Amino acid sequence: MSEPVKLEVTDLVKHFPVRAGLLQRQVGAVRAVDGVSFKLRRGETLGVVGESGCGKSTVGRTVMKLLEPSAGRIVLGKADITSLGRQAMWPHRRNIQMVFQDPFSSLNPRMSAGDIVGEPIRNFGLAKGSEREQQVAALFDRVGLRPEAMRKYPHEFSGGQRQRLGIAKALAVNPEVIVADEPVSALDVSVQAQVLNLMIDLQEELRLAYLFISHDLAVMRHISHRIAVMYLGRIVELAPKEALFEQPLHPYTEALLSAAPVPNPRIKKQRIILQGDVPSPSKPPSGCHFHTRCPYAIARCKTEDPKLREIRPGHFAACIRREPGETQPALAPAQH
Amino acid sequence: MSAASIALEPAAGRASSGLWSEIRRNPTIFLGCAILLVLAACAILAPWIAADPLKHAPVNRLKAPSAEFWFGTDQFGRDIYSRIVYGARVSLIVGLSVAAISSVLGLTIGLLCGFYRWFDGIVMRIMDGIMAIPSILLAIALITLVHPSLTVVIIAIIIPEVPRIVRLVRSVVLSIREQPYIDGAVAGGTKAPRLLVRHVLPNAVAPLIVQATYVCASAIITEAGLSFLGAGVPPEIPSWGNIIAQGRVFFQLTPWVILIPGVFLALTVLAVNMLGDGLRDRLDPRLARRM
Amino acid sequence: MNAVTDQLAPPILEVEDLRTHFFTRDGVVRAVNGVSFSLRPGETLGIVGESGCGKSVTALSILRLIPRDLGRVVGGSIRFEGRELTGLDEQEMRGLRGHRISMIFQEPMTSLNPVLTIGLQIAENVQRHLGLSKKAAWDRAVEMLSLVKIADPHRRVHEYPHQLSGGMRQRVMIAMALSCDPQILIADEPTTALDVTIQAQILDLMLELKEKLGTAIIMITHDLGVVAETCQQVIVMYAGRKVEEAPVEELFDRPMHPYTRGLMAAVPRLDGRLEGGVRPRLQEIPGIVPSLTAPLPGCPFEPRCAFSTEQCARHMPPLERRGAAHDAACFEVDRVLEKSLV
Repeated sequence: MSEPVKLEVTDLVKHFPVRAGLLQRQVGAVRAVDGVSFKLRRGETLGVVGESGCGKSTVGRTVMKLLEPSAGRIVLGKADITSLGRQAMWPHRRNIQMVFQDPFSSLNPRMSAGDIVGEPIRNFGLAKGSEREQQVAALFDRVGLRPEAMRKYPHEFSGGQRQRLGIAKALAVNPEVIVADEPVSALDVSVQAQVLNLMIDLQEELRLAYLFISHDLAVMRHISHRIAVMYLGRIVELAPKEALFEQPLHPYTEALLSAAPVPNPRIKKQRIILQGDVPSPSKPPSGCHFHTRCPYAIARCKTEDPKLREIRPGHFAACIRREPGETQPALAPAQH
Repeated sequence: MSAASIALEPAAGRASSGLWSEIRRNPTIFLGCAILLVLAACAILAPWIAADPLKHAPVNRLKAPSAEFWFGTDQFGRDIYSRIVYGARVSLIVGLSVAAISSVLGLTIGLLCGFYRWFDGIVMRIMDGIMAIPSILLAIALITLVHPSLTVVIIAIIIPEVPRIVRLVRSVVLSIREQPYIDGAVAGGTKAPRLLVRHVLPNAVAPLIVQATYVCASAIITEAGLSFLGAGVPPEIPSWGNIIAQGRVFFQLTPWVILIPGVFLALTVLAVNMLGDGLRDRLDPRLARRM
Repeated sequence: MNAVTDQLAPPILEVEDLRTHFFTRDGVVRAVNGVSFSLRPGETLGIVGESGCGKSVTALSILRLIPRDLGRVVGGSIRFEGRELTGLDEQEMRGLRGHRISMIFQEPMTSLNPVLTIGLQIAENVQRHLGLSKKAAWDRAVEMLSLVKIADPHRRVHEYPHQLSGGMRQRVMIAMALSCDPQILIADEPTTALDVTIQAQILDLMLELKEKLGTAIIMITHDLGVVAETCQQVIVMYAGRKVEEAPVEELFDRPMHPYTRGLMAAVPRLDGRLEGGVRPRLQEIPGIVPSLTAPLPGCPFEPRCAFSTEQCARHMPPLERRGAAHDAACFEVDRVLEKSLV
C-alpha cells in the first residue's frame, strides 16, 4: 500500500441534538457517529457496512461537509476541511464528490440531463459554451449514455440510467474521492450489476478512491478492498475484505455474515440469529454497544469500552475478548 | 450496451400531444380558459362593442332587457350591458394584478424565508401580524385613509394575500431543501444564489401558480364586496360591485340590475377556479402521476 | 422435501391464465399477462422477479385488491379450494381476505392503523371473521403476539404501531395475518424494508410458524437469497409472464431460462472463493425491461437475451415441460443448458 492517502478521518463525531418541550431545550443527543477513524488511499474502495441507524450515511454526509462534524478531524488530500465554512469549503469540493442512493430524487426534475451533469463544470468555471457541451457529451459516453440524451429530463430515464447520470455528474470535475451512499440499493439486480461494473471500470481507469456505503454485504464483498463494519456509531471491525469474510473477528460481523441469505438452496447455513433490535443511538448501551445482543458477551463487556485494536496485521476489531496477535478462530459462547 | 438501453427505454415522453388530446385530458382547464378569454376579449374591445357606460339618459330609466338594452337600464338610464362590459375590465385588472403582484412578492419573501433562518424569524412574525387583522377591515381602513382609486383597492387586497403566499412558498421551499438533489447540487459546488434560482425556484413555481389562480378568484370577489360596501373603486367607475350596490335600492322593481352582474361575477370566479383546479391536477405530481 | 407438504393432496389454489391489465393515459399496461400456477397445502411457493414483472400484481389480483379505477383482472381463473374467486362479489371476498387467505406487505406501517392499539386491530380481525366474543378475541390477540415471539405480549397488546420497531411491526402483521388460521399466507417482499439481522429473525419465524400451523405461503421477492432459503417451488416472472418454474434446488442447479441465468449471474455472491484483490466483473443483463403497453410479438426477453434467434423475435415461446417438474418458456433451452453456469 504505497498509494497516497486521499482522505483521512480521525475520531469523527457527529451528534444531533434532541430537543423537547415548548422551549425546545436540548434534552440529549443522538450519537450518530461516535468516534470513527479511517484512511482511504488512491484507487482504493473502503466499504462502510452496517444496518440502518448505525451512522454509515452520516459518516458520508459529514465527510462531504453536508453536515458539520461535532468533533474529530477530516483531512482531504492535504487539506484539513474539518471546520471550513461554506465559502472556504467550496474550492475543496472539486476533490470530493458524491453519488446518492435514490436515483429518483437526487436529480433536479426541472433541469435537463446535460445541465445536471454540466453544472459542476460550470460552477468551477472549468469550461464554457460548446467546450462544456463537449465535455458533458464525453462524460455521457463514458458512463454508457448516448450524448443525444443530454436534452432529456430525469423522468425520461430509467432508474439505472439515472444512476449513470449521477455518476457522470460526480465525475465532471475530476475528483479524487467519491463518496457513494448506497448507490445501487434502489436498483434491480440486473441493473445493479451494470452500475457496479461501471464503477469498478471507472475506478481502475481514473484511480478514484471510493468511500462506498451500503447495507448489502454481497455488494460490499464484490466492490470493496477493505471493509469497515459499523454498529451504533462506531466501527467495530475494519479489515481487508478477504480477512473479514473468511474470518470475522467481531461477533457482530460474524452474525451479520451468517444472517445474509445466500442464493444457493443446498447451503444450509448455521445461522446466528441475533435477538432483539438495534438499541436507539440516543441511548446506546454502556460498555460495548453490542453487548445487549452479543452471544459471547461476558460481564466485563457491560462496563469496558472496547477500543479498535489491530488483532492481526491490517485486521482491526473492537472486542475485548480478542487479543492482538491471537489466532484462535472462534469465540466461546458466554456461560450464563 | 448503452445503445440497447436507450432503444428499449419505455416511451416516457409521449410522441403526439395534439391540441385535441390535451383538451380531452384537461377539460376543466380549457373550459375555464375559454370563458376567461371571452371575458378578456370583451374587456379589451369594450369601446367598440359597448356604448358609453356613464351616459345618463333619464328617459330610459329602469328599462327591462330588450333588443335595444340587452340587459336593461338602471335608475339613471345607463345601459347595464355597457356597464358590465366595462366592469369586466375592473374585475380582470384587479384579479390579474393582485394575483401577479402578490405572487411575486410572496415568492420572493417566501424563498428568502425558507432559505435564511434569521430572515425567516423576523419576517414570519410580521406576516403573522398581518394575518391577524381581518382583511376586509384592513382594506376599509386603508381606503378611508387615502383617496379611493383602483390602485388603492388593488393594494388593499394585496396586503392580506401576501402572507398566505409567503407561508405556502416557505413550506414548499423547506420541503425542497430536504430533497437529495439539493445536497447533490451543494456537493457539486453550486453556490447559494444559483441554488435558489436554478434548483429551488423552478420546483416551487408549480404550487404557486395554482395558488395564484385562487388568489385571483378571491381578489375579484373581494373587490366586488368592497365596492358593494362603498369602500371599493370610486362609484363613477363601473365595476360589477358598484353596479350591484347601486341597483340594490330597486331590487324588487328591477331585479336584473343585480342578477346579471351577479351571474357574470359568479361565472368569472368559477372559470378562474376551474383553471386553478385543472392546473393543480396537471402540475401536482402526486395526482398527475396516476400509474 | 418438507414433511408438511403433501405432494399428492389436491392444490388449494389454482391460478389459470391470469390476466390483469391497468388502464392508463398511455395505454393498456399488461401487468400480468397469462400466468398459471398452483399451490399445494403447506407448500412455500416463491415468485421472483424484478420490479414491474407483475409478481405483486399477481398476488393483489388473487385477493382482488387492485384499485378498481386503475385496473382489473380481465381474464383467467383463480380457484381456491375448488371455488372460483373471480365470480365472487365484494362481500364474499371480504369474508375470505384476512381469514382464509391473508397477506403481509413490505411496509407494515401502511397496513396498520396508526390510531388503534395493535391488540385491538388483531382482536377486531378475529371477531369479524371467527365471531369470537370480545374477551376471547383479546385473548387470541395476546396468544398470537406470543406466537410471533413478541416479548411481554400482555403489555405489548396495548401499544400503538409507532411504538414498535420495524421488525416488531412485521411480527405484528404476521400475527394478524395468521390470527384466523388462514390456508394461505401471501407475503409480498416481507423483509425488503428490514435490516439483514432482522430479516433473518422474520424469515426464521415465518418458516417455524409454517411448520407449526401448516399454512401454505406464497413468497414474493426480488431476492434470490430469500428464495433459496425459504421456498420449495419457485416461479420466475418477467414482463408479466411466467418464464420458468421448478423446485428450488432444480432451479438453482439447472436454470433453463436465460433470464433466470442472467439474474443469478448478476448478483454479487457471498459464497464462492475470493481471489486476492481481483474483482471479477458481474454479468450484466444489458438493456432494461420492455414497455408493458406495447408488448413485443415474440419473447419479451429477446432484446436482452444472449441466446436469441430470429424465431424468438417473432414468436412467443410457450411454457413447456423441459425436465422433471421443470417448466421453461424458451426455444433455446438446449443451447442454454450447454453453457455451464459461472
